[in-house]
Amino acid sequence: MEKLLLLAMNGLIWGLIIALIALGLAIIFGLLDIINLAHGDFFMVGTVLAWATLQSTGSFWLAFLVAPLIGFILGALIQRVVIQPIHNVAALSIVATFGLSLILQESVRISFGPTPRRILPPIQGTVHLFGIDYELYRMFAAVVALAALIGFFIFLHHTRLGTWMRAVRHDRDTAIAMGIPAHRVYVLTFAIGFALAAVGGVVAAPITTVDFRGGVDILPFCFMAVIIGGLGNLPGTAAAAILLSFLEGVISSVADPTVARISSLVLMSAVLLIRPQGLFKGLTR
Amino acid sequence: MTSAGAIERVLLAALAAFLISVPWSIPALINSFWVSVIAEILIWSLFAASVNLLFGYVGLLSFGQALYFGFGMYGVAVGISDLGLSFWPAFGLGIVAAMAMALVTGIFAVRLTWHYFAIITVVFSLIFYFLALTNKWLTGGDDGINFTLPATFSLGGSSLSFTDPTFQYFFILATVALCFWLMHRLIGSPLGKAFLAIRDNDVRASLIGLNVYLLRLIAFVMAGFLAGVAGALFAFFGRYASASYMFYHVSGEAVVWAIVGGAGTLLGPLVGTAIFIVVREIVSTHWEHHALIVGVVAILVVIFAPKGIVGLWHDWLTRLTERGAEPAVETKLRTEP
Repeated sequence: MEKLLLLAMNGLIWGLIIALIALGLAIIFGLLDIINLAHGDFFMVGTVLAWATLQSTGSFWLAFLVAPLIGFILGALIQRVVIQPIHNVAALSIVATFGLSLILQESVRISFGPTPRRILPPIQGTVHLFGIDYELYRMFAAVVALAALIGFFIFLHHTRLGTWMRAVRHDRDTAIAMGIPAHRVYVLTFAIGFALAAVGGVVAAPITTVDFRGGVDILPFCFMAVIIGGLGNLPGTAAAAILLSFLEGVISSVADPTVARISSLVLMSAVLLIRPQGLFKGLTR
Repeated sequence: MTSAGAIERVLLAALAAFLISVPWSIPALINSFWVSVIAEILIWSLFAASVNLLFGYVGLLSFGQALYFGFGMYGVAVGISDLGLSFWPAFGLGIVAAMAMALVTGIFAVRLTWHYFAIITVVFSLIFYFLALTNKWLTGGDDGINFTLPATFSLGGSSLSFTDPTFQYFFILATVALCFWLMHRLIGSPLGKAFLAIRDNDVRASLIGLNVYLLRLIAFVMAGFLAGVAGALFAFFGRYASASYMFYHVSGEAVVWAIVGGAGTLLGPLVGTAIFIVVREIVSTHWEHHALIVGVVAILVVIFAPKGIVGLWHDWLTRLTERGAEPAVETKLRTEP
């Protein structure tokens, strides 16, 4: 019972972090029509930036500023240099982002090194919760991830830039006709997508390991969240990420983690075949 | 007009002559290690061709072909080490296993198109990748299965097997060439034309009476056949099978090879595969970060030659041979801001 609770809690918190990363993937997918195979590596870059910030300044907290900023700049740069010239052709975008993924992984392997490292949680100690001792940092991570999620949705619905993003996604040609600079919105979207993944990386860095292959496992999971939540359905994506991760946590308390992963993949195939609009179609607007 | 065709025929003959001469010319020019590199290129180009058949000729981008490659590998490895089969039955088992798997997954997968198709194929391959990792009793997991190779032909006391590198090379060359020839015949056949019709416009294809679902399924099983042959050959070549070859990165590499070489061209996958593997072999002996170059090349080709290297070559050749004829409008004007 205690194991179940612990793994369920871990799953829930990991789900909040995945939701952040998957949202980045979803806005890039929804707005630019790009299947971004490098998205897991954007997350990985976030974990490495957290480690680098801690090493050079001695402060982990600074990473919450540095990582999204560098992520944003890198994202904007990548959109201009790599994504824009291929005119959002889905097939080409797969090749381009696959190449990007290799470049990011190898650059990190050169600069950071091939051996995985760990970051000690900056908040030590445990809290007593529902009869188990739970790590304080994970609670903190949940709060940060939740705050970032809420912040993103506020940005999307209550700022001019957010409205532009939704407008371009809804009807690109009309948006351009109304004077919205669609190209700048594309750059911005890609940059925000990268920044969200980088924040996810910083939050997750003390929980997981910092490794140049850290994104490889994250990527399929994010795609699962995007598909099960429904393409373009952002709240659905976030909900699916949390739900999936929670379920995997619960299943892995009784079975092998791989079995948990296989069950969510099977669930995903079923959703793709039966409800390709996602599980939550009709529940949200 | 005809001179473009003539140039290509000469090049094709040169390629064939080169490939046949490899076991003697390469050891003389470089060293015998490169013979096995070229054999490996041939095998992987068949794998890339299976992506190309689906994407270049039917318009379905599969990101899960590693699944059928893996089944081809495991069919051979399990057949030899667990069932005690000899060479040919094991080869057959690998191909049948890959095609059966392609049929079963294809029944579901080809109901979808575009993004959804790409994603469901990768999901199917991930499911079986994780299954292969957990069921170590059958697959050996990440460590894989090693086996000793039975003879290919044995007549009386003498036998021919892959232990003879020259025989191994020619067996691979003959099998791969046969598969490419079959694909060439397929593209020229009415079935191939139907594939192209679906690629260009599936709604119109269905309106002229083509059964789009069935044709896509046929193409999917055919692609499974190509991937399965490649996997089986690779198992014979390496004398082992491993779950790591079923991971989505392997599928991704094949997609990159096919598109960089030129999707929708017969030899594009061979060109793409050759470039990447040659670069890998040359660079990796000096510098361990060869993946960086692979990434940069992939991006550069996609930006500057979106039709792939063979596509670029075709454009260049037609422009060269048709010079003096009417100046054709080369590219459509893009009106995007």
